[in-house]
Amino acid sequence: MMPGFVLFLISSLTLATVYALVALALNFEAGVDGLWDLGVVSFFAAGAYAYAILTVGPPDQMQVYRLGFGLPLWIGVIGAAGAGTLVAYLIGRASLHLKHVYYLITTFAFAEVIREVLTNERWLTNGTAGMYRMAQPFKSSFETNLYPLVLLLVMVAILVVVFIALNRVTKRPFGRALNALRENEDLAATAGMAPYRYHLRSAMIAGAVAGIAGACYVWFNTVIVPQQFTSSITFVAWTVIVVGGLGNNRGAVLGAFLLILTEDVLRLFDLSSTVAVRVASARVAVIGLILMAVLRWRPRGVLPEKRPRFSRSEALVPAEAPAQGLQQVGSGE
Amino acid sequence: MENFVFGIVTGSIILLGAVGFSMTLNSDHFVNVAHGQMLLLGAYLALYFSKLTGNFALGAIISVIMTGALGMLFYAAVYRPIKTKGPLILLFTSVGLSYFIWGIVGAVSGSQTQAYEIPAVRAIRVFGTPLITSYELTIILVAVIFAVSLHLFFAKTRQGKLIRAVADNHDLARIRGINPLRRALYVWFIASGMAAMSGIFLGMISSIDLELGWKQILIILSATVLGGLGSTYGVMFAAILIGLSMELGILILPSHYRSAIAFAIIIIVLLVRPEGLKSVVPALRGRPVESDMESL
Repeated sequence: MMPGFVLFLISSLTLATVYALVALALNFEAGVDGLWDLGVVSFFAAGAYAYAILTVGPPDQMQVYRLGFGLPLWIGVIGAAGAGTLVAYLIGRASLHLKHVYYLITTFAFAEVIREVLTNERWLTNGTAGMYRMAQPFKSSFETNLYPLVLLLVMVAILVVVFIALNRVTKRPFGRALNALRENEDLAATAGMAPYRYHLRSAMIAGAVAGIAGACYVWFNTVIVPQQFTSSITFVAWTVIVVGGLGNNRGAVLGAFLLILTEDVLRLFDLSSTVAVRVASARVAVIGLILMAVLRWRPRGVLPEKRPRFSRSEALVPAEAPAQGLQQVGSGE
Repeated sequence: MENFVFGIVTGSIILLGAVGFSMTLNSDHFVNVAHGQMLLLGAYLALYFSKLTGNFALGAIISVIMTGALGMLFYAAVYRPIKTKGPLILLFTSVGLSYFIWGIVGAVSGSQTQAYEIPAVRAIRVFGTPLITSYELTIILVAVIFAVSLHLFFAKTRQGKLIRAVADNHDLARIRGINPLRRALYVWFIASGMAAMSGIFLGMISSIDLELGWKQILIILSATVLGGLGSTYGVMFAAILIGLSMELGILILPSHYRSAIAFAIIIIVLLVRPEGLKSVVPALRGRPVESDMESL
């Protein structure tokens, strides 16, 4: 039997892995590409529910959902990635011709509509009562005591694979094209990059990754209810990548672990439930302060995006034109 | 009929929140997510001060003034210093500020749902059918008074014109000797005060809880988009329209979808006509400040 502290640490780290995956997804579309997406939770929720519906068994007497295929777990994960991609495609198809603030508001609105649908369509999701007894990977092969550690390792493995894959895509011509579109869409378009098609693809990649993160979230919780998919997930993911360093994958992962661990440290103390609620709120206030402070004094984040350096162009560009990360995304138009 | 009246009431509440939001958007050109939390702050300050003074109306007025003052403070301390860094930095700073306000309110008041201690009132009967309570009537009246007086303020008074001048062209206004900081502070005072009113009224017709600000900011965004970014009159009109469609929509759709209706409206409007209502109704267009909005 593992001591309480270790169990607690494992659970925190597992949650941080989920957030790191969502942050990586968001970082790809918002940091590498320049989409202001306030609805990344849509992909996350789609992935989680796709996984749940594909793998869960038939309902018991208390439940009202009609679907529950009881399929193997790996099909569930593929389904989760597929559902995330599909939702990203549909939302992107509809709203990618909008710019900046308009895009931001539309994606935000889509996320809320999706959550309302998940809450109300009980035949699909069992509503707010949720679905439970979710399948977890390799559950039967290990002892119950040891299982949290196994789950953490599985998720870290997924995180590593996703991280390497995204890093490679970022460095390939596709990723550089997204960078170019982010910096100056008109110029990139004249160089032959079709903005809409590239944006759609980057959103779909983000959708796939966030969908997988959704499946991981289900493993972590073993239950799924619509209340888990509020827009606060989106805001947390944005906080993570802004603090970690927009455009930098390592920053996204680091940010996720920092944020979840700062959040969870305070849970270690034994507090009565009324005090605990207040402490939880105060913690959010502290995170707000950190976010404001980072944006003010380190607007490019803790680990700023590395800009590629080309010796010839360096000579051409005057030295006093610094790359400004976030700032340039915003004011560069 | 009941739904229609309630739609107007809901619309009036949205109007008070959305007009303030739209004013800050026009004056500083960024999406101030923390505006939703100003509703929350106003609602809770009113709760606190009405308990303290034993008089709800007095508590509400104190709360409106205090929230307005805090709005000015937040602007001067948080947004103003980073104004040159672009709208995305400002947007996420406002997310940080939202967390901050939400966290402080939650830490002080706890997470339980609360209600104002105001006496229950009977609806006023018109031709024998109960139509509207005195609270609802007050809400509508306050919204109308504010809509009209804001119009007069911006159209007729010198200060109102100066504010519009700064919103139109910040640098030109400065060259002409207008102090932009002072105008911006007026804007933030009025906007935050109105946000407080909106929050208090929400509490009067139902109850207040910590999620109020997050829920409301999206509806405010819908009204702003539907009205067309940058058009104050368009936003007023859109607020009423959204209030009505939310309350009338539940006659057709299941009532759980009440707020989804507002969001579905934004999605449809943005997909069909991103310029919002002002592109359909020329009278709503107002002064052309859109050139700035395009760059957002």
